[in-house]
Amino acid sequence: MKVITGIPVLDDVIEEIPEGKILTYWIDPEVEGNVFAMQTLFTNLERGCKCAYTTIAYSPEVAIGEFNEFGWDVENYENFSIVDLYSGYVGLPSNCQYNASPTDIEEVNEVMKKVIENFDVVVIPVSSVIDVCGEDSIECIGEWYDFAREKESRLICTFVSWPYPEEIEKFVKNNSNAVIRVGGVHHRVILGYYYGVVKVDWKNIKSKAILFKLVKPGGVRAYIPKILVTGPYNAGKSTFVHAVSMRAISVDRLGTTVALDHGHLEYKGFSIDLFGTPGQERFDPILKMLGREALGVILVVDSTKPETFPRAKQMLEAVAHFGLPYVVAANKQDLPDALPPEEIRKKMFLPEDVPIIPVSAKEGDGVYKVIDALLELLTGSWWVKENEPEVST
Amino acid sequence: MPELSNDLSNITHQLTFTLNVIYDVYVIIIMNMSQVLPDVQLKKGSNIMVYGPAFTGKSMFVRSIFREFIRKGYGGIYVLTRDSAETLMEWLDIDYSNKYVKIIDCVTKSMVGNVKDSDSIKYETVMDLTGISAKISKFFEDFWRSGVRDIVVIFDSLSTLLMYMNLQTVFRFLHILTGRVKVAGSVAFYIVEDGMHDERTIATLKQLFNGVIEFKEENGKKYIRFVSSFTQTEWREIVVEENRVVVVV
Ligand SMILES: Nc1nc2c(ncn2[C@@H]2O[C@H](COP(=O)(O)OP(=O)(O)OP(=O)(O)O)[C@@H](O)[C@H]2O)c(=O)[nH]1
Ligand SMILES: [Mg+2]
Repeated sequence: MKVITGIPVLDDVIEEIPEGKILTYWIDPEVEGNVFAMQTLFTNLERGCKCAYTTIAYSPEVAIGEFNEFGWDVENYENFSIVDLYSGYVGLPSNCQYNASPTDIEEVNEVMKKVIENFDVVVIPVSSVIDVCGEDSIECIGEWYDFAREKESRLICTFVSWPYPEEIEKFVKNNSNAVIRVGGVHHRVILGYYYGVVKVDWKNIKSKAILFKLVKPGGVRAYIPKILVTGPYNAGKSTFVHAVSMRAISVDRLGTTVALDHGHLEYKGFSIDLFGTPGQERFDPILKMLGREALGVILVVDSTKPETFPRAKQMLEAVAHFGLPYVVAANKQDLPDALPPEEIRKKMFLPEDVPIIPVSAKEGDGVYKVIDALLELLTGSWWVKENEPEVST
Repeated sequence: MPELSNDLSNITHQLTFTLNVIYDVYVIIIMNMSQVLPDVQLKKGSNIMVYGPAFTGKSMFVRSIFREFIRKGYGGIYVLTRDSAETLMEWLDIDYSNKYVKIIDCVTKSMVGNVKDSDSIKYETVMDLTGISAKISKFFEDFWRSGVRDIVVIFDSLSTLLMYMNLQTVFRFLHILTGRVKVAGSVAFYIVEDGMHDERTIATLKQLFNGVIEFKEENGKKYIRFVSSFTQTEWREIVVEENRVVVVV
């Protein structure tokens, strides 16, 4: 039977998880990524696969409760079993057929192998096993990987990337046939979540990164990030949105934007929606409304008009309320009297770490560097770096 | 450090001798640090250990700190491993709709099974460090998006975590949490019980913190002081009252 991830977009990219393969969800410690494994399990359970879910950090009841919160009634499926590594640890009797106490790693090993042999899909919280059983348990985990390959079962592993020794990370990565990263959009705090394919060894794939939200019930839902393009009157916002977008529309009257610019772009695996705001002051409420929804801000300034910088700064403050990361596009660099980025930084009193990118929206120069800079802020540079080769194509 | 102690005595003169004084003095220590000791940046982003034997008033102390911060307009995140959210809310005497208070209750779920999360109270189990970490992070995001930038985090207590999990695991968890507090420019207090852990554990944990508020008991009297690698206050005698800790003059 075909086993799939059940995660939006991911299944279009990797199609299926073949027999004997190990797929690891590589999860940022501050992100609720366990849902990915739960969703994969439930999807395949519904399709008729025999699935086992290993719990070690909480009781089987709590585990089932978590499934239920997402609307997944695992307990009603005969093909579903829980491997209870929790009860024995806290000294409670287990009422699961498969159970072991993690204080006895040999016992755990034996039970896990039995499960791997008997089930099509087995979910294992690899990092939690390491957390509870100690770092030496990685040897056992290695045996499970090998055993799954031998028995042609599929392992769906979660690995929460706490600061483990590098050897452990390498071992897990190298032993996984597929690694899906589940990360956070960091900006002082985490403002959003994304997942992306790091590695799949059974298929040649084009990288994808998808932002997601968790919906209860429902699970992982992909969504398209909204980027706000703002700036003073006549700075070149509409021109910028059109320059980077594959398709874009503007609602302009007499050359100025009266409603919104909207552009869509597919870039480095991201689907991005750009919203250009009107530059005139009477539109500030729209700006506020969008700020609450957006994930990042591009501030476009006319580099030849320092007299508009105070207004630009004021617009930044309006969105600063939402704590969003922002980059500055120093536009109209094709004109002879354009100020260089560092001059603009000084005049606008912008901190050192704010990226200011010289662009000419009219000529299309540097506009994607602005998107790069923002993606780098949003994904902690991981995504942009991993996908560098793609930039040239 | 004559300047620092001068500052302190001035302030303590002006204020009444309640726990809040300690808190105020303490925050002022933090605030003044960069002037008095220019090479020390303790201000925002500090992670502080609250250490002492059982029944010396640590919980009361951090609760009072928490309440004070909330009154000052901070967003507060309280992680409970020993009391339920209900107990805390009762003590704080704060309305459940108060948007400045967020609680992670790691007690209720393991006692009564599944409980539904609300916007301000989330339930986790104490061994599920990933769950706790993700929920704390979610609260940070909630505050951030609603424009609240000053955030205080209380962790009561790390000793419970150490009962279930080895030091390495707890250390890794704290590494991430203290890092978040630092980057977000918040302040966090973590309770650790004296007498429950070996010296190596305490020494290892201390590496993660900017300072320690210590409690002790001697001849039936209780004392408090603040210690960091840069400064140390005198032991002050305290009395633990029903809902606050008071310094004896
Ligand atoms: N030379 C030059 N002109 C530009 C550039 N970008 C935009 N412009 C011109 O600047 C004018 C304003 O551009 P828009 O894109 O409409 O500016 P806007 O920020 O959307 O303006 P409002 O919506 O009215 O606030 C137009 O005449 C553009 O052709 C650029 O990079 N170089
Ligand atoms: Mg426009």
